[in-house]
Amino acid sequence: MSKKIASLRELDELRKRGLKSLYPDKPRIMVGMATCGLATGGKKVFEILSKGIEKNGMDAKLVPTGCLGYCQKEPLVDLLRPGWPRIIYQQMDPEKAEKLLDNINQGNIWRENVLAKMEEDEFLIFDEKRKYPSGSKANLNNIPSYQQLPFYKKQLRIATRNCGFINPTNLAEYVARGGYYSLFKVLTQYEPEQVIEEVMNSGLRGRGGAGFPTGRKWIYSRQAKGDTKYVICNADEGDPGAYMDRSILEGDPHSILEGMIIGAYAIGAREGYIYVRAEYPLAIERLKEAIHQAQDYGFLGNDILGGRLSFSINISRGAGAFVCGEETALIASIEGRQGEPRPRPPFPAQSGLWGKPSNINNVETWANIPVIIARGADWFSQIGTQRSKGTKVFSVVGKINNTGLVEVPMGITLREIIYDIGGGIPGGKKFKAVQTGGPSGGCVPSWLLNLPVDYEQLTKVGSIMGSGGMIVIDEDTCVVDLARYFLSFLQDESCGKCTSCREGIVWMLEILTRITHGKGEEGDIELLEQIAEVVKNASLCGLGKTAPNSVLTTSLYFKDEYEAHIKDKQCPARVCRDLITYIINEEKCTGCMRCVKECVQEAIVGERRKPHRIIQEKCIKCGICYETCKFDAIKLE
Amino acid sequence: MKKVLIVNLEKCVGCRTCELICSLTHERRCNPAEARITVIKFEEKGQNIPMYCQQCETPVCEAVCPAKAIYRDSLTGAMLVDTKRCIGCRMCILACPIGGLSFHPTRKEIIKCDLCKGDPACVKYCPEGAFEVVSLDAIGVKRRRENIRKFSSYLDMMTGGKE
Amino acid sequence: MLKIVIDGKEAEVEEGLSVLELAEKIGVKIPTLCYHPAVGAYGACRVCIVEVIEKGLSKLTTSCTCPVESGIEVKTNSEKVKKTRKLIVEMLLARCPDAKIIQDLAKQLGVEKTRAPQKNENCILCGLCVRICREIIAVDAVGFANRGNKRKVTTPFEIQSDVCLGCGACAFVCPTGAIKIEDVEDKRKIDMWHTELGKVKCERCGRYFSPVPLLEQIKKKGLREMSDFLGLCPDCRRLVLANKLMGREE
Repeated sequence: MSKKIASLRELDELRKRGLKSLYPDKPRIMVGMATCGLATGGKKVFEILSKGIEKNGMDAKLVPTGCLGYCQKEPLVDLLRPGWPRIIYQQMDPEKAEKLLDNINQGNIWRENVLAKMEEDEFLIFDEKRKYPSGSKANLNNIPSYQQLPFYKKQLRIATRNCGFINPTNLAEYVARGGYYSLFKVLTQYEPEQVIEEVMNSGLRGRGGAGFPTGRKWIYSRQAKGDTKYVICNADEGDPGAYMDRSILEGDPHSILEGMIIGAYAIGAREGYIYVRAEYPLAIERLKEAIHQAQDYGFLGNDILGGRLSFSINISRGAGAFVCGEETALIASIEGRQGEPRPRPPFPAQSGLWGKPSNINNVETWANIPVIIARGADWFSQIGTQRSKGTKVFSVVGKINNTGLVEVPMGITLREIIYDIGGGIPGGKKFKAVQTGGPSGGCVPSWLLNLPVDYEQLTKVGSIMGSGGMIVIDEDTCVVDLARYFLSFLQDESCGKCTSCREGIVWMLEILTRITHGKGEEGDIELLEQIAEVVKNASLCGLGKTAPNSVLTTSLYFKDEYEAHIKDKQCPARVCRDLITYIINEEKCTGCMRCVKECVQEAIVGERRKPHRIIQEKCIKCGICYETCKFDAIKLE
Repeated sequence: MKKVLIVNLEKCVGCRTCELICSLTHERRCNPAEARITVIKFEEKGQNIPMYCQQCETPVCEAVCPAKAIYRDSLTGAMLVDTKRCIGCRMCILACPIGGLSFHPTRKEIIKCDLCKGDPACVKYCPEGAFEVVSLDAIGVKRRRENIRKFSSYLDMMTGGKE
Repeated sequence: MLKIVIDGKEAEVEEGLSVLELAEKIGVKIPTLCYHPAVGAYGACRVCIVEVIEKGLSKLTTSCTCPVESGIEVKTNSEKVKKTRKLIVEMLLARCPDAKIIQDLAKQLGVEKTRAPQKNENCILCGLCVRICREIIAVDAVGFANRGNKRKVTTPFEIQSDVCLGCGACAFVCPTGAIKIEDVEDKRKIDMWHTELGKVKCERCGRYFSPVPLLEQIKKKGLREMSDFLGLCPDCRRLVLANKLMGREE
């Protein structure tokens, strides 16, 4: 019998099944099994739970789920028992998992390792809230509420609305939370032009980094001449430290499909491609499953929702090239050609994949579409700032207490993200800067922390929004070394076509490397700025044009740090190996011989009970002695 | 009206003035290696035969040129080479049955007879008046066929069809 | 017809041209390295950069890829353009210090020395050989390998090409002369492509005059029934025909 959905009634039936799955009348246990969860040991936790449930003959539903965003606390395990609010447990391991099962069996609330309780679920698509029962028998007052946790309080999850809430391989659960209702609405009530108008009016801008108004892009593709058109999803996500798209692909793949199908209807495309980087195998697996399911249920194929649209999606895998995140290089890669950008015009909207009009959008952009259709442009455009509407997912990583993915309305300040949500800098260290936008972005220093985050504001201070990576650095990070790191990344990833990017990055890197090795010269900073200007203005594509940003912002905001390296041959952050020295303080040294044993270079000499000495010529500045000494007798200068 | 260059073989004495004036006109030097015309001499027989591009009706050089750098001049009907577009593959030289194109020894460009914009220098300077520019009207077409028939089995290619 | 201002002068041009093509038409000189009329614009060398002012906003862009649009103002040699072009040439000079075309360009622009790290390449990665071989000769014998500053032009797997015709167009269009073709006895050698091809011997004079695959290609392309002269070098073709004429006269 065909599962294909062709009417609202059938969609509602599917929704009912999904709701039963989400809120069964038995315990439902969700384990965070996105890459963050798996990396911290989620698979073992899942296995132990699975074994335990079977062994004890428990009637319980064990389900994998996506990333809830609080990656620092993974593996997360959610427990939903009939009659109780949902409880989220943090930093689980096999032993704790066993304890949890025991408590469930005994009918107790396990109170260890609790992160929060969820008292209500929000169905963003329907603008509905579903309250959980309060569990009157036990006192849950001292368990913090999920909405009140500093990490979640200021977040507004639109693109990541289902991540961590559903089993990503269960289509019914996606529908239960509103999935494919927007597609239905579009196919039964909207003309393609009306869909585009809605997206235009919402003010949605491309979330891949360029921030181009999405509605306008769709208009160009719609207006382009030709019967064959393509919609493409850019899931190449190459920035180091950024994994927002990965989380959506792993945790809620259907949101992308639904967005693309709506886009295909609006533009007039019958075929679509999702270009995923090969380094995301789990995401690729989830997408493949989701596409199969969507085909089975009639959301993809020749007769979508009863014959209103024909659209199919192919998956195209990347092969390890950052530059293939650039749209024309991406297109070349799908076509089987070498991944190198080409000059524009013509833009992909006029001539893209196989020379046909193509609309490319980022994963997060597509994920927003079903919500915009459901809640309307007015609702969406009231979130955010005047020119940057809606929310943005950021990956907050680096020297930060709460590493994870956060989705916040545009206009929130950097201070709020780093301190309120991120929990500040670990170890009591001092904040130095936050690098936004990945290798193409710039460092924003502490005196600009009140900056409201949006496209224009970040550009004004010399950085970019980029795809949403936010790398926090503290006093122990050397900004010169950081700029050098990003340039060496870009040197490897540049396609090498245009002179300014290929040769310019090598030149800037040579200068920065010299500086970090204590061989900086007078005039280096001015020369760097000259080269940066040319690379920025003369390069062919975004990679080259934004490559100098890390150098330009760090030399602007941390000029004294550069000058310390060049003039004084010093690294204030004590990172650059050629500029630091480890010295043993003879007064504090007890002669315990510990460092002598640990030193891999045998560079420390000394006898028991006599002060030791480091032979500087042999020392490779690895810092092992510094970390080993229990008497604080080694100084880092 | 399209034109062609016709030579009256009986009149040619082998003085090679045409080679000199051709290279002088095009290259500002008198160097037969840079001329677009080559006189083949049979001294024992006292016969001399100037060989040059016949501006064929269906030229092989044009057909074979991958860069589409060979085209017909709208004014004179001569086949010309757009040296800026030429990529130097020399397929034209290899394709021509009569060796009508060659490679300039130092400038590295294709050289061939271009009818001097319709007023060929060889016509003016040949002491014996062996050359004639003929417009391809009905009579000219006939004369051309007569001229070529003598030495080329590629008559149709060069003159564009049977009588 | 579109009206624009270029270097302070008004110009009118039909649609569909790039700023570079327009400049060429009206006699304004813009230096190029990777442009060739046969394959069009590629945008690799960045030397043809100009300043384009549209709706009050100025940007630097390559003139070869910038379409002429009504109302734009183009500056081919403003201070910004000069500064940028000079630094790009500094980069090229550091990469290929012995390339005459780069040395000449540097002299022309007043670039006396380069501050960039010295390399010793001959190839400026303009891509002309690749594009000509792929799009015009259409045998696709060479291509780009690797990425970034490891990018180079070579044959697949860097071994003898099995499609190269030996036509030498790559060497002809190469701006720096990096591609060297050697004709030694009965072989044509192109070291850069790790390729050696046999040549055809003239039936009459015995001179080796064309690489074998090149003649084969010509046979395929346009010569229908007329291949009896192909085994002769062009000089001998003239001689044989002249002889025929002699024979007929007699």
